[in-house]
Order: sequence, then structure tokens, then C-alpha cells
Amino acid sequence: MPEQHPPDDALLASLAARDLSALATLYDRYGRLAYSLAYRILGESEAAEDVVQDAFLSAWRGAGSYRRERGNPRAWLLSIVHHRAVDILRRKTTFRPAPLEMAESQPSDEDTALAAEKNVEHRTVRDALEALPQAQRRTIELAYFGGYTHVELSELMGVPLGTVKGRMRIGLQKMRRALERTR
Amino acid sequence: MNEHVQDDLEAYALGALDPADAERLAQHLALCASCSNDAASLAEIVGTLPDTVPLREPRPALRDRLLGAATAEARQATPRRSLRWSFGAVRLSRIAFAGLAAAVIVLGAADVDAYRRMVTVAAERDAYNRTLESLREGARLWYMAGKDSFAGSGGTLYEPRADGKQPFVLFHDLPPINEGQVLTIWLVSPDSAWARAATFRPNGQDIQVVQINTEVAGFDRCAVTLDDSPSGKHGTIVMESRIAPPSTAP
Repeated sequence: MPEQHPPDDALLASLAARDLSALATLYDRYGRLAYSLAYRILGESEAAEDVVQDAFLSAWRGAGSYRRERGNPRAWLLSIVHHRAVDILRRKTTFRPAPLEMAESQPSDEDTALAAEKNVEHRTVRDALEALPQAQRRTIELAYFGGYTHVELSELMGVPLGTVKGRMRIGLQKMRRALERTR
Repeated sequence: MNEHVQDDLEAYALGALDPADAERLAQHLALCASCSNDAASLAEIVGTLPDTVPLREPRPALRDRLLGAATAEARQATPRRSLRWSFGAVRLSRIAFAGLAAAVIVLGAADVDAYRRMVTVAAERDAYNRTLESLREGARLWYMAGKDSFAGSGGTLYEPRADGKQPFVLFHDLPPINEGQVLTIWLVSPDSAWARAATFRPNGQDIQVVQINTEVAGFDRCAVTLDDSPSGKHGTIVMESRIAPPSTAP
């Protein structure tokens, strides 16, 4: 990925110094991706917007606690979005684990999907995920986007908990190797 | 615990542990560099998964809403310096109390129970003064509710906005704990990393103030664990806050 200016680390340092323009830049850089992630998890635009606002405000308040060893700024920010969105999904009183087919076919949009395809970095990650054996890919997608715990996945997929953990481990290892080959 | 933790690192990175297990693991990561490195490496891989999502545009108003909320928060966070005098008043009240207590002992005018009652009243008054002071300065408050054997107790973390003022936790109704055990106050960052903030034992009084000797800014939750030692393995979570409110106290 080409380096952006100012770099993400510098943006977070400015955020910690309460620089509002840094927050605006961070949003312009990652707001769309953050919203897309929240929407993919929640399937509702209003709830997704609330999550994005909450996550960026949280980053605004928490930039001082950010440590590079916990991942790069982009991964850190998106992990906050993910935590918040999954938290909401699990807190919904009506939430019950949906049938696997439903959770796998969250709303998508052909045009935007095509736009994502045009981004080389995104395409590389999509390829790495799609190259996984189906059981590993489904396990990772349902855990990350579907908000299922590994125990719930074990019940839903009808396999032992150890198998779920193994699929996660091997799937993520393969993704790492695939991404390293392309960098 | 290490084997169990390593077994769950992938699920943790994917957000696929239930909240209690995730918190326990996060506490372990705060103390274990090896597991923490593995977790960071997995977080980088999991951090690429959003790139597989079809991109969508949020409404343009979201940007304005976010920046408006941050601007309002920044304004509220500005400390009001004209009230600096009142911390001095707290110190003065302590000195005055110490003198009074000494006089009571010297004159033999009170028994041990009376002395204890006076200590409690003084502690409550000091705690009240500190709280009032922080509220005047626009402190951020995080309430932690006790659970299980700590149900009915609680603690409020006060983060004073004024420069140079230390954050502290005002606990109430702490139950006694076993000999050798301690309570640990933890600060939790938005991405669930845990940092040890203070270790203490209940002093047996209704109200207890514990000073936090670390920076609170940047964390958005807090919790208390009951531990068998001041370092090393963490114990059970006996108190925890929800996400801290963004606004300051009135």
C-alpha cells in the first residue's frame, strides 16, 4: 500500500494532542472502510453509522493509549469498529444465531464490490480468503463478520470446539503466508 | 494458563471469544510479552479482513456529526483553573483533622470506637471534598459496579481535567478479602488492552480512596480484579465499568 501523508502514526500522535483536523483526516482516510465493515456486520445503515461515530470518538479519546506493538493504526482503528459492531449484534435482544446461509450472505452491492475489486490490496486479501478451503473460510467469516463465538460455531457447524479452533488457526496461517508472498 | 491462552489466540483476534473469556485473555496479554507478540501478529492478519468487504459510502452528514461531537467534547475538557484553591482546602482539612485526633488521644476524651468513627467521618469528608473538587473541574466519572461476592459495592474512577491532578477511585462498601489477597484496578483501552493502574487492600471503612499513579487518558473502561498477589497472574473480575461516558460531569 502506498504511504500516505501524513502517515497514520503521525495522525494518531496528533489525535492524542487533541488536533481535530487529524480526526477529520483519519475519517476521510478510513471512514468509508469503517462504515463498510460495520454495515457488513450489522446490515443496517443507521446502526453502522452510530458504530463508526462511536469508534472514531473512541480513537479520539484513546489515541494516547495506542501502542504500535498492538498492530498498525489502521488495524487498531478497525478493531475498535469491529468490537463495537459485534458488541451491538450480540446485545440485540432479538439476536439469535442466524442460519449459516443467512450470515454468509449479508447485503452486498455489485457496483461497490466491483469497486473493491479494482483496489489491488483489497483484491489480494479477497483472493487469500477465497483460496482457503471452504470450512476454514466459513469459520473465519462467521466468527469475524457474523459475531459467532467459537463455542456457538462448534454447535452450529456440528463439529468439536477443537476443530473450530484448528480451522481458525490453519486458515489464518494460510492467509498470512499468502499475503506475505504478495508483499 | 499459557496453553489455554495460546489455544484461544486466533479466536481472540477474530473477536470470537465470549466477553468474559476475552477479558481474561486480555488481562493475560497485558502481563505476557510472548503471547502479546503472537496476538499482535494475528491482529495484523485479521486487520486485513475488512478489505474483503464491498465498499459503501456513509451519508456525508456522518462526518459533520463526528467532528461536531469531538469539538463539543474538546470544549468540555478545558479545565477551569479558577477553582484550584479547593484541593488546598482538602489538605488543610486533613491537617486540621490530624491535630484534632491528636488532641482527643492526649485528653483521653474518647474510646477506640469514637476514634474509629471520627476516622471514618474524616475519610468520608475528604472523599466528598475530592469528589466535589473534581466535579467542579469537569472530571470524567466511570462507575464500576461490584458483582458476585462484591455485589452491592462499587467504585467511581474520577479523572480530573485540571493539569497536575491525579486520578483516583472512590470505592464504597468494599467487603473484606482474605489474608494475602489484593485488589487490582485495571484500565482498559478501546481495543481491549489491559493496564495495571493500582493495587490495594480494603481498609475496612465504608468509603476508601485509592490514588491512580498512571495516565488515564486513552482508556475507556476500568475494572477491579481480586488477586492472590500484587503481580503475576490476575484473578477474578469483581467490578467493572461499562464504556466511559464521553461527556463531563455537570
